[in-house]
Amino acid sequence: MSDATIASKEPKPLYLRLVPHIGLFLLILLLWEIAVVTDVIATIMIPKPTAIMGAIWELYVTEGTIYSHFFITLFEAVAGFMIGAAIAISLAVSSSLSETFKRYVTPYAVVLNVTPGIALTPVVIAWFGYGMGSKVALAAIISFFPIFVNTLTGLTKIDREREELFRSLGASHRDIFTKLRVPAALPLMFAGLKIGLTTALIGAVVAEFAQATAGVGVLMNRFSFQLDMASSIATLLSMTVMGLLMFYSMEFLDDRIVFWRREARRAAASRARARAWEAGLK
Amino acid sequence: MAVTDQVAGEGGGKPLMSIGMRRMINHAAIFLTLIALWEFGSRIGWLDPLFYPRPTAILESFWRIYVTQANVWHHLYVSLGLVFIGFAAGSILGVGLGALVGFNPVVRRFLQPYVIVLEATPRIAVAPLLIAALGFGAPPKIAIIMLVCFFAPFINTLSGVVNVNEEKLELFRSMGASKMQTLRKLVLPEAVPVIMAGERLALTAALSGVLVAEFILRDQGIGALILTYTRNLNMASAFACIFTLTIIGFLIFKGMEVLDHRIAFWNHSDATDRMSEKRARAWGNLTGGRNV
Repeated sequence: MSDATIASKEPKPLYLRLVPHIGLFLLILLLWEIAVVTDVIATIMIPKPTAIMGAIWELYVTEGTIYSHFFITLFEAVAGFMIGAAIAISLAVSSSLSETFKRYVTPYAVVLNVTPGIALTPVVIAWFGYGMGSKVALAAIISFFPIFVNTLTGLTKIDREREELFRSLGASHRDIFTKLRVPAALPLMFAGLKIGLTTALIGAVVAEFAQATAGVGVLMNRFSFQLDMASSIATLLSMTVMGLLMFYSMEFLDDRIVFWRREARRAAASRARARAWEAGLK
Repeated sequence: MAVTDQVAGEGGGKPLMSIGMRRMINHAAIFLTLIALWEFGSRIGWLDPLFYPRPTAILESFWRIYVTQANVWHHLYVSLGLVFIGFAAGSILGVGLGALVGFNPVVRRFLQPYVIVLEATPRIAVAPLLIAALGFGAPPKIAIIMLVCFFAPFINTLSGVVNVNEEKLELFRSMGASKMQTLRKLVLPEAVPVIMAGERLALTAALSGVLVAEFILRDQGIGALILTYTRNLNMASAFACIFTLTIIGFLIFKGMEVLDHRIAFWNHSDATDRMSEKRARAWGNLTGGRNV
C-alpha cells in the first residue's frame, strides 16, 4: 500500500513522458502529409514528410553523398572556430593583464563587432580562394567577438572582496590570475565558446553559399536551385545534427572543465581528489 | 567666464591636457600610423593593391559611390527597407509567440524540443530553400530576415516571462494582487529589459540576413553590390561598402541603446533618475506647486 503511493508520487519514467511528445510529432507529420497529398500545401513549396524521409534515406544510405560534404563543413567550422578562439582568448588574456593594451585593442574589436561579419564573405573569398581556406577564415572572423568579449568580461569583472582577501593573504599576481581570475572567467568563457562555435558553423555555411565546391552549403544551394525541396530539407536537417553535435560537445567540455558549477560533478571531483590525497599519504 | 575659469585652473598647476584628451590623441596617432603603414606597404609593393586596397583608394571609392556616381544610395535604401520590414514583422511575431508560449506551460512543454532543434540549426542556412519556395525579389528576402529575427526575441520573451522571481511572486500573491496587476507591475518590468536585449540581437541578425539573401540572389542591395565589386576585383569600393555597413551597424547599436534607455528606463540608474524627476515635476504641477 505505502509502496504503491510512493511509486505514484515518483516522476514518471522517461519513456512514459516521451509518449505524448512522440504522439504529437507523429500527428503533425500525418496532418502535414495529408495536407500535401490533398494539395492544401503546394508540393513545390513544402514537400511531403515521406518524401523528406526518402531523401534522407537516399542521401545517407543508398547514395551516401552527404558524408564527405558533412565532414568538410564540420572541419571548416571547427578549424575556423579554433583559430578564432585562440586569437580571441590570447587577446582577452593580454587585455586583462595590461590596462594599456586593453585600451588600444578594444576600439578595433568593437568596430569588428558592429560590422556584420557576413559582409566580408566576398572579400574573404577573394583573399583566400574558392577552397576551404576562405570558409575557415570567415568562420574564424565571425566566431572571434563573442569569445573575446566573454573571456575579457570574465577575467576583469572579479569580486572585489575576494581580490582583497587574496591580497591580504599575500597572494602574488600570478596566484591571483590563476586561482581567482581564471576560475571566475571560465564559465563565462564557455558561454562565449558555445556561441562562437554555432556562429562558426554559420560562417562556414554562408561562405559555401557564396562560392564553394564542397560542403553542405553547396549541397543545399544545389538542391534548392533544382527545386528538389525534399533533399534540400534533408540537407538542412544534417546541419541541425551538426549544430546539436557541436553544442553538446561544448556542453560536455563545459561540464568537465568548469566542474565546480554543477553539484554532482563537483562532488565527484572532490571525491576523486580525496582518494588521490589518501593514496598520496600512504 | 568659462574661459577665465579654465585659465585659472591651468595656472593652478593642472596638466595642460586632461587624461582623456591625451588618450584620444594616442588613439588617433596609433590609428593613423596603422593607416600610413598600410598605405606605405601597398605603395612599395608589400601588399598587392589588387587584393588589399590602399586607404586612399578606399576614401576615393567612398567619394565615388556616395557623391560622383552616387549608386550606393539606391542599394542602401533597398537593403535597409527590407531589414526594417523583416525586423518589425519577425520580432513582433517572436515577442507575441514568446509571450503566448511563456504564459502557457502545456504549450511550452510540447514546444521545447522543437525550439532546441531549431536553435541548433543555423537559421541563415534556410535561405536557399526560402528563395526556391518564394521566388526572386523582395518576398524571400523578407522571409529570411523574419526568420533570423524571430528567434532572439522569441527566446528572450519566453525566458523573461517564465523566469519571474519566485519570492516576489509570492509577495504579490500574499498581498492579493490580481493577474493583471502581477503582469503589469512584476512580470513586464522584469521581462522588458530581457526582451530589449533580444531585439538588439535580432536587428543585428537582420542585417546579416539581408546580406546573405543578396549574396545568393545577386540582384540588388548592398550585399549584391559588395559581391559585384569583389567579383570585378574593385576591392576599394567593396571596402567602402563594408565600412558603410560598419557605420550602419554602429548606428543600430547606439540606436538600440537609446531605445533601451527610453523603454526599459528602470533598468538604467541615470534614466530612472531622469524619469522620476519628470514624474515629480508632473506631480508638482498636478498638486498646484505644493511640495508633497
